[in-house]
Amino acid sequence: MTHLALSNISKRFGDNSVVSDFNLDVEKGEFVSFLGPSGCGKTTTLRMVAGFEIPTTGKVILDDADLTNRAPNQRNVGMVFQAYALFPNMTVAQNIGFGLQIRRESAQAIKERVGEMLSLIHLEDRGGSYPYQLSGGQQQRVALARALANRPQVLLLDEPLSALDAKIRVSLRAEIRAIQKKLGITAIYVTHDQEEALSISDRIVVMYDGRIEQVGTPFEIYNFPTTAFVASFVGTLNTTEAEVIDPKAQTLRLEGQQLQAASGLEGKRIGDKTRIAIRPERFNFVSVERKDNVLDCTIENITFLGSVVRVQVALGSQRFFMDTFNNPFLELPRIGSKTQITCSREAVLVLSH
Amino acid sequence: MTVVDNVERGAPNARPARTKLSWAWLGVMPFFVFAFAFLLYPSSTIVVGSFRDARTHAFTFKNVLALLSTPYLINAYWLSIKISLITALGGGLFGFLLAYSAIRGGLPRFMRSSLMTFCGVASNFAGVPLAFAFIALLSPSGELTHLLISLGFNPYYHGFTLYTFWGLSLVYMYFQFPLMVLIIAPAIDGLRREWLEAAENLGASSLQYWRYVALPILLPAMLGTMILLFGNAFGAYATAFALTGGQVNLVTIVIGAELTGDVLGDAGLGYALALGMVVVMALAIAGYTLLLRRTERWLR
Amino acid sequence: MRRGGQVWAWFWMILGILYFFLPLLATFLFSLRAKLGVLSFQAYEDVFTDPDFIYNFGYSVFWGVLTIIVGILLFVPTAYLIRLRLPQFRSSVEFITLLPFVIPAIVFVFGLVRTFSQPPFLIVDSPALLVAAYTVLAMPYMYRAVDTGLRSIDVRTLTEAAQSLGAGWGTILFRVILPNIRVAILSGAFLSFAIVIGELILAQYLVKPAFAPYLAYLIQQKAYEPAAMAVISFALTWAFLGIIQFVGRGGAQAQIGGGR
Repeated sequence: MTHLALSNISKRFGDNSVVSDFNLDVEKGEFVSFLGPSGCGKTTTLRMVAGFEIPTTGKVILDDADLTNRAPNQRNVGMVFQAYALFPNMTVAQNIGFGLQIRRESAQAIKERVGEMLSLIHLEDRGGSYPYQLSGGQQQRVALARALANRPQVLLLDEPLSALDAKIRVSLRAEIRAIQKKLGITAIYVTHDQEEALSISDRIVVMYDGRIEQVGTPFEIYNFPTTAFVASFVGTLNTTEAEVIDPKAQTLRLEGQQLQAASGLEGKRIGDKTRIAIRPERFNFVSVERKDNVLDCTIENITFLGSVVRVQVALGSQRFFMDTFNNPFLELPRIGSKTQITCSREAVLVLSH
Repeated sequence: MTVVDNVERGAPNARPARTKLSWAWLGVMPFFVFAFAFLLYPSSTIVVGSFRDARTHAFTFKNVLALLSTPYLINAYWLSIKISLITALGGGLFGFLLAYSAIRGGLPRFMRSSLMTFCGVASNFAGVPLAFAFIALLSPSGELTHLLISLGFNPYYHGFTLYTFWGLSLVYMYFQFPLMVLIIAPAIDGLRREWLEAAENLGASSLQYWRYVALPILLPAMLGTMILLFGNAFGAYATAFALTGGQVNLVTIVIGAELTGDVLGDAGLGYALALGMVVVMALAIAGYTLLLRRTERWLR
Repeated sequence: MRRGGQVWAWFWMILGILYFFLPLLATFLFSLRAKLGVLSFQAYEDVFTDPDFIYNFGYSVFWGVLTIIVGILLFVPTAYLIRLRLPQFRSSVEFITLLPFVIPAIVFVFGLVRTFSQPPFLIVDSPALLVAAYTVLAMPYMYRAVDTGLRSIDVRTLTEAAQSLGAGWGTILFRVILPNIRVAILSGAFLSFAIVIGELILAQYLVKPAFAPYLAYLIQQKAYEPAAMAVISFALTWAFLGIIQFVGRGGAQAQIGGGR
């Protein structure tokens, strides 16, 4: 059942179109991420849901109520800001209870709810501290609790982890997801970090230049990107241009060698140039296993990344990356030596533009 | 710097540390001598003179007592405090509204920098020229008065006059509000937009945002400035003198009159008056410090 | 502030602009009325050819310049040494420089006059007392300005560099340090000058030639010339401030000074 619907949303500032053609239906309890580089319009779209921007066209409908033109303080959506935005003149408990205080709930009700929230974020004994006494991660948890205390219908998070360091980011994002699941609250999460989006979302909306590039589950987005942008933004990718040999048989020519794809060449003509992409981890050495495609290449560089070994090969004038799992018993070929790499036909992604 | 240090460094023209230090001491001596001679000592005579009989030079409380029992003098303090409070609060409030309008009011950008420049100049435009400017504006033969008369309305027939307490307050405000603007502007800048948005997001109206978030955050800076404004007005002499010719009975005017004409008839009383001013300022600062502590608990 | 808030913003702004400009406008208009029925610069002519004005204003400028020089000679070495070598004196020096803030000017003048008008310090007739008093009045601003300037340059490194090149203390102070805090000194000088020009009571009492007492006296006597003088003094303030902004291109610092 659609809980939150964004239909035909666009936002223009003068001549500048920041968001266009945005359509999305979010289910109740779903965790959706808006993923994209800075300037792609993801934050602006989020702020339109929160009410800090008014859409130039389109509607925001929450649970059958049209929010599009409603003031931000009458929407019952909870927002977590990138810079925490905790009120510095109030204690943690006062911050969390602020929304309830505005609603004139009884002191008793506020106290109980604040207590609940403090245990939810595991800061039971910090209720009397001021924001400046807390670490960044703690402050963000308080911001989360403050947004949730009001029992909002939707939780909006604007790059909440960008200001924190890497370790905290990983643990906190898991915590956020766990809380969201526990409460069953619909959530929209804006981020530019694809690993973050992939690891915690039910669905991802990839955005670029104000438009939606693709919507799908993390699995779909990663393994079946439909545009060159999505393919290159999410995960590492080898992209290149190949020439179509036979559209029906799905064969292409790349640097004088033949490449077999599984699908995607329908409607193309012989001789057409098309963009293809292959994930590095879909390649392997022929000596380990043999698949549909076998390509001759020269080893240019080998980088040891820990659990993964990244091999840079030259295919004619093209450079490809191949990722294989680190195997202490596998002897790696020397730099400069010729070798053969292989990948399945399904690994060859044909990109739409 | 120890002697050992210096020697170990082996600096080429190493003088023993003691000489280096004494050069520095010598260098600051002029300052301390100057400060003692022309600031500390004369200021201390205020205290001493207040408790000393002008003729017999004996220790006495009679100057202070005389001051406290002369209604004319008590009234002078009251008037001075009154005008200082009023112009500090009024000028402070007006300055704050002006600063906020320029910074967050959605006005064209250039208005903010223009405002800052004007305030930089206006806060220095005080004393005799300022008094005259208002005379040129609102005296019985002033420009604005003439304009109003030509429109059929003579403010002087309705009881308005420039040369009184309220006229003086109006003039004082001229150098009070720019000061508030200059000092509170950085504090307003520090009011992060996210706080307003977070408050709105949690359901707060504009008023509630001000009451619970913005004003408490701005309060320490505003209090500090108001004390500055209070001291500003309390110690003002030239403006009051030039505008009212010494007719409004402020403490500064009385002291000035005592200085130039010995109007009180008792030199010791003059000292007590002066000491009284210092006491009022000290109390104001103490009050401010107390208030500050309460409103600043949440500051780093 | 959104929507309706913007109306209020314009309201306060316009009110502020009116309040700020009307007195200035009135003064200027008034100064043009010297000739009956016609707007002219007669008053300005009168002012500039008035020997008393030149005498009094000239002296004020003279006192101002002296005050600035004394201030530089006294405060720059002190602030420098405190910063470099004698940090333990920092708080006592700050206390001293802030005293004139707490003690109203007139109180201090009172004490000064009483002290120095009796033996054995009978220097009340000497201009030295005037300049000394002005220096004390200007001290919070001048010292602060110098200190701020010193804070923004790396005093220690500059000194050591100069020393390694063979410079003595005088050279260091006046050819290395001073030029680098020019802007700060300029702003302190501006405030000192404003104080000297605006100071009324001491000049009145000591019966020394000065601008403010002369202007105050003139207000009682004439109508249009004081207006012209007020305009001139205001224009000077603007010009001085403009010079500082131009030379410094710095941030807005709260400037408070001038005799009140």
